[in-house]
Amino acid sequence: MKGLAKKDLLSVLEGWRGLYSVLAPLRREQGDIVVDRLDSDRFTLEFGKPSLSPKGILLPQSEVTFNVEEGAYRETPAKGATLLFGVRSCDAMAILQSASFMTRDKEDIYYRSRFEDLAIVVMACEGPQNETCFCTTASTGPWLRRGFDLQFYDLGDLFFVETGSERGAELSSGEQFIDITDSEILRKIEDFREKAAAAIPVVHEVKQSMTMLQDDGVGDDFWNRFGSKCIVCGGCAFVCPTCTCFNVYDQVRGEGSGQRIRTWDACLFGGFTREASGHNPRGSQALRLKRRHEHKLRYFNETDIQEALCGCVGCGRCSDYCPVHIGTLEVARAIVQSK
Amino acid sequence: MGTTAENIYQLRPVSIVRSLPQIKEHRLFQLKLEDGGTWDAFGHQPGQFVEVSIFGVGEAPISISSPPTRSEHLELCVRRAGSVTNALFDLEKGAAIHIRGPYGRGFPLDVLRGKKLLLVAGGLGLAPLRSLLLYVLDRRSEFDEIILMYGTNNPENVLFKYELLSFYDRDDIRYLYSVDRDEEGIWKQYVGVVTGLFDRTALSPQETYAVLCGPPIMYRFVLERLLKLGFPKEHIYMSLERMMKCGVGKCGHCAIGDKYCCTDGPVFPYREIELIKEAI
Ligand SMILES: Cc1cc2nc3c(=O)[nH]c(=O)nc-3n(C[C@H](O)[C@H](O)[C@H](O)COP(=O)(O)OP(=O)(O)OC[C@H]3O[C@@H](n4cnc5c(N)ncnc54)[C@H](O)[C@@H]3O)c2cc1C
Ligand code: SF4
Ligand code: FES
Repeated sequence: MKGLAKKDLLSVLEGWRGLYSVLAPLRREQGDIVVDRLDSDRFTLEFGKPSLSPKGILLPQSEVTFNVEEGAYRETPAKGATLLFGVRSCDAMAILQSASFMTRDKEDIYYRSRFEDLAIVVMACEGPQNETCFCTTASTGPWLRRGFDLQFYDLGDLFFVETGSERGAELSSGEQFIDITDSEILRKIEDFREKAAAAIPVVHEVKQSMTMLQDDGVGDDFWNRFGSKCIVCGGCAFVCPTCTCFNVYDQVRGEGSGQRIRTWDACLFGGFTREASGHNPRGSQALRLKRRHEHKLRYFNETDIQEALCGCVGCGRCSDYCPVHIGTLEVARAIVQSK
Repeated sequence: MGTTAENIYQLRPVSIVRSLPQIKEHRLFQLKLEDGGTWDAFGHQPGQFVEVSIFGVGEAPISISSPPTRSEHLELCVRRAGSVTNALFDLEKGAAIHIRGPYGRGFPLDVLRGKKLLLVAGGLGLAPLRSLLLYVLDRRSEFDEIILMYGTNNPENVLFKYELLSFYDRDDIRYLYSVDRDEEGIWKQYVGVVTGLFDRTALSPQETYAVLCGPPIMYRFVLERLLKLGFPKEHIYMSLERMMKCGVGKCGHCAIGDKYCCTDGPVFPYREIELIKEAI
């Protein structure tokens, strides 16, 4: 067990820059929180729940997969190691879940190489970051049981630092990290965890709605109601840390040369499933919303990571940002009410 | 980033040996590998598909129409449908393109071996089914009776016409075909939808395996018919089409319930998808 004085944090982050490209929460001029290349003047610990999930670090919103020259496809090279500081446990779980999906069976090497080169430093939550957090329902937080390199607990002037891997042990081997044997502090951690979990109520409707979806117990009328409200912005999928669907297109530079690029895509869009014949197996917005929510709450990828829901990690961003209130929380509550 | 050989999206160069006009807006492309590999080593199974890539336009999933038993060329039967297929039609003999694959779960040869087969194709559905059809004909002794039912919308749209006509000379395959409409009155066979063919032949459902490949509307009617005739659900297989981008289970476009059409399919046992509402 290690400890780190809060005043030493910035110098530790700066030190890690020797080996990693360090990404950390920053406060921009206008007050927005972004997670970006460490800028010591803008670094902040009051970052709450950043509006964008960290998925773009592993699956960039737009990414070149091949450089094409004279008709030959050349794989783009890897970029090097990255350290993500301050990720919330729900988002870290989403990374683990997506990594399991992207590397199972046929392995997506773009995702895998970034994942292998990523050091994950979690900042445990002391309580909900806002009213839409439901990680205790999804079993993804407020702290992580495993899968991190380091996990920080903010105890005021001191961080308690938990090591989760060899890489984590190396990262915390510097002299600023002090050994903790004091049982008083260990008790404080237990206390921190208990209070944090208790402060984030379990949303029973989410689990009930999962059961109803699994039993095919949600009718077409229900989805029609939400389908007619959706403005098809795709925002829910773009802010979702576990949505990894992508589109592929070519950018031509000259005869037989250019780039093959992939970008985020969303199952909310009609063109996502429309076939060349014009036939669309999900021909209405109602069916597309049904798909999105079934993927999160019914057909989630079963993994054994912390018994988490995985399809949905409970970050609440879809509920934060959907302009017409079709987030997972609203849908789950409405499903239960429709019984 | 890994070596190129590990990259599931890496393409292989091929050239177009022939581009043979079939019916209106359909061509059969014969391909040759240009990286020194052989189609034998490619190792495709009937019912699998490849992603065809034309840089600047994109990629499109296309069924392999030729069986592994005929490995001189890889054959793709393509309908001109949009950007990639248009570009393909514009290419000359010898043109260089790329493919990746073979992808997906093909027809269940191990299940079908030794059994009576009923192959039902509608329209371009014959393209993937042909790989199975030619396979069983090439390994004729490994299979029991074969019945092929093929329906198109009109007499001009019969794919692989000469190949199909040659089946009339064989006594080891029964071949029935239908057209939905015959405005010019030139059709000597059955006029009506493909399900009408079920009234014109005797089937033994308990011993027969049915393999379907066609548009969604055909599935609904043919399934209803098969079940009414007493085909056990376990004896029915079908190939499904979905919008596909990656072909390897990552992009999410082809999802059907908890399955991915590109890796769990495109050929599905009916049992696996009967309860998934959006499947058929
Ligand atoms: C497993 C499978 C096997 C197929 N086999 C054949 C075949 O043997 N012969 C044949 O002619 N056609 C086949 N198709 C349909 C064929 O893939 C589409 O006609 C083709 O993708 C159209 O691409 P396009 O660029 O010409 O058209 P556009 O409409 O311009 O398509 C643009 C993009 O959308 C995607 N797309 C559009 N429609 C489809 C679709 N139906 N399925 C998948 N992706 C689509 C493609 O990736 C393409 O890059 C098959 C489809 C699937 C899923
Ligand atoms: S964020 Fe809301 S409005 Fe936008 S696509 Fe999703 S459900 Fe529809
Ligand atoms: S085509 Fe990409 S997941 Fe199936």
